Amino acid sequence: MRKVKGFLLIGIIMSILFSSLMVITAVEMTAEEIINKRDNNEYFDTAQMEAEMIIVSGSRKITKTMVALTDKKNSLAEFTNSQDRGTKFLKREDDLWMFFPDAEEIIKISGHMLNQGMMGSDFSYQDVMESDKLTDLYDFKIIKEEELDGRPCYVLEGIAREGVKVSYYRRVSWIDKERFIGLKEELYAQSGRLLKEIKVNKIEEIEGRWVSIDSVMENKLRKDTYTEFIITQINFNPEIPEETFSLQNLR
Amino acid sequence: MKKYFSILILTMMFILLFATTTIFSKVEIGGELNMNLSGVLFRESEALVYPQGSLDLELYIPPFDNNLIKSAVYLYNNPTTGQFDFMFKKLYFKHKFDKLQLTVGRQPISWSFGSMLNPVDFTLGSVVMDEETGSKYQNAIEAYFPINWNSSITAIAAFPNGFENVKWGLRGRTMLEGYDLTLNYVREPEENSAETMIPVSQRIGISAKGDLGPFGIYGALGYYFEDNDDGDLAYLIGGDYSYFFEAGNNIYFQLEYLSIKKDNLSSILGPFFAGNVTNNLNENIGLILGMANYEIDEFSQINLMAISSLNDGSIIVIPGYRNQLSNNLSFNLSTAIYFGKEDTLFGPNVSEGTQKRPKGMISIGLTYSF
Repeated sequence: MRKVKGFLLIGIIMSILFSSLMVITAVEMTAEEIINKRDNNEYFDTAQMEAEMIIVSGSRKITKTMVALTDKKNSLAEFTNSQDRGTKFLKREDDLWMFFPDAEEIIKISGHMLNQGMMGSDFSYQDVMESDKLTDLYDFKIIKEEELDGRPCYVLEGIAREGVKVSYYRRVSWIDKERFIGLKEELYAQSGRLLKEIKVNKIEEIEGRWVSIDSVMENKLRKDTYTEFIITQINFNPEIPEETFSLQNLR
Repeated sequence: MKKYFSILILTMMFILLFATTTIFSKVEIGGELNMNLSGVLFRESEALVYPQGSLDLELYIPPFDNNLIKSAVYLYNNPTTGQFDFMFKKLYFKHKFDKLQLTVGRQPISWSFGSMLNPVDFTLGSVVMDEETGSKYQNAIEAYFPINWNSSITAIAAFPNGFENVKWGLRGRTMLEGYDLTLNYVREPEENSAETMIPVSQRIGISAKGDLGPFGIYGALGYYFEDNDDGDLAYLIGGDYSYFFEAGNNIYFQLEYLSIKKDNLSSILGPFFAGNVTNNLNENIGLILGMANYEIDEFSQINLMAISSLNDGSIIVIPGYRNQLSNNLSFNLSTAIYFGKEDTLFGPNVSEGTQKRPKGMISIGLTYSF
């Protein structure tokens, strides 16, 4: 009996130790490690996708559709809905080029326009086409842990690194503890004002990674307006020819 | 000759189209239908109101084996004849070779670089004043040689009046220190216009566009060769800026200044202003053009444009409003109000026996995309 009690005690201690070790491992993940895991999950070498943007303001709603190719630094998007059909955007690092299909003109867009809403949506050109890793742009720290819609999350705060050009000075991100995907993000100006909030509606596991396929961007400075971004089809790491992200390919 | 050229292009297109039946099955038709009610005010008691309609129709043919066929036609009711008319905007075949893209047929040739007026375009003519003059659509052969992702050389042979008079163009484009740079050359053929012989003319030009801090800046310099003197110089400088309000809306500003000899002005502004630029052709004209575009919400915006001659103080003010009513339907309102004395560049002219220019114009309409 004494022997059984001894085994039980050892078992209990082992379990406590093991659980403690698990907790310590989880707690001890640094903000950078969490963001890196998220980056590794959400960012890719190349991707090809079809998507739709549903722009809602009050009771009015319009839908724009597009196809896009992207790599680590560059993006090429072409709108396919009837009103904007053939309009293309090429982002090469910090430069944005636009192709106007009627006159078949290629115009370099001024840098300040990267912060404007893309085709009237709440997503700016920068939001949609930004391809840099977040850890290259922000210093992150864990500010709390909490549940969001039943999912345990790390809540991280990122402050823009000095000398780095970013659209939002501060961002607060809710990152799923198990799947390492952002479920919600608040984007702030340097003044502390909340500018935008992005919330994920639907996540799917595609090609072994968790992908947000339906998210909503709300411009917090405006009333009754949001844009839903739905990825209808996505392929990771397709082979993209070198000349894809070029002016010659916009024509 | 022009007719034969179109027939040749049309035949080529149809052969290609029907030879590729699998592609043909994927062809889509799209376009835009515009219905407007326009009004022109000459005097308090003299006004003209008329409906206007136009249809842009385009065939979307999927590319095949590095080939691309484009066909777009513009149908409109001609306000001068009262009849329906049409114009092919695009009817071309493009093949992408390894180091060359060759485009043959009716095609848009535009050397815009982001300005509202462009003194160094392939076809001079204001984009702002009249988008549908058709002057940028040419029967032409274009050879485009890409050098790297942002650099290229384009050679163009256009046939504005048939094969006998060729208009030549050459354009180099590159990027340097974040600036989009172009170098252009155009040789216009001799032209017989209304019993007037317009001699061969040549021009070269450069343009640049980039960022300077929070501002977008651009400029162009053109040199128009003359047979009997040193030629004329034209230059344009401009910039743009976005201001974001606390409420999330933004206002976009664009401002530019053009200096050009009066003789060359009509080709920049279009035929509408030709009657005003006959006196003292050697005089240099300074034009200032400004635009502000305010986004009211996701679906609607107002804009205000103004163009003024600094020489005589005349001005056109062009306010506009656009509202996207649904996925395919938008409402447009545009007006133009002319200020200035009768003999000024933009001033209204209602005297008998001269070309009439109105005091104001208004156009209200709907655009349906499909």
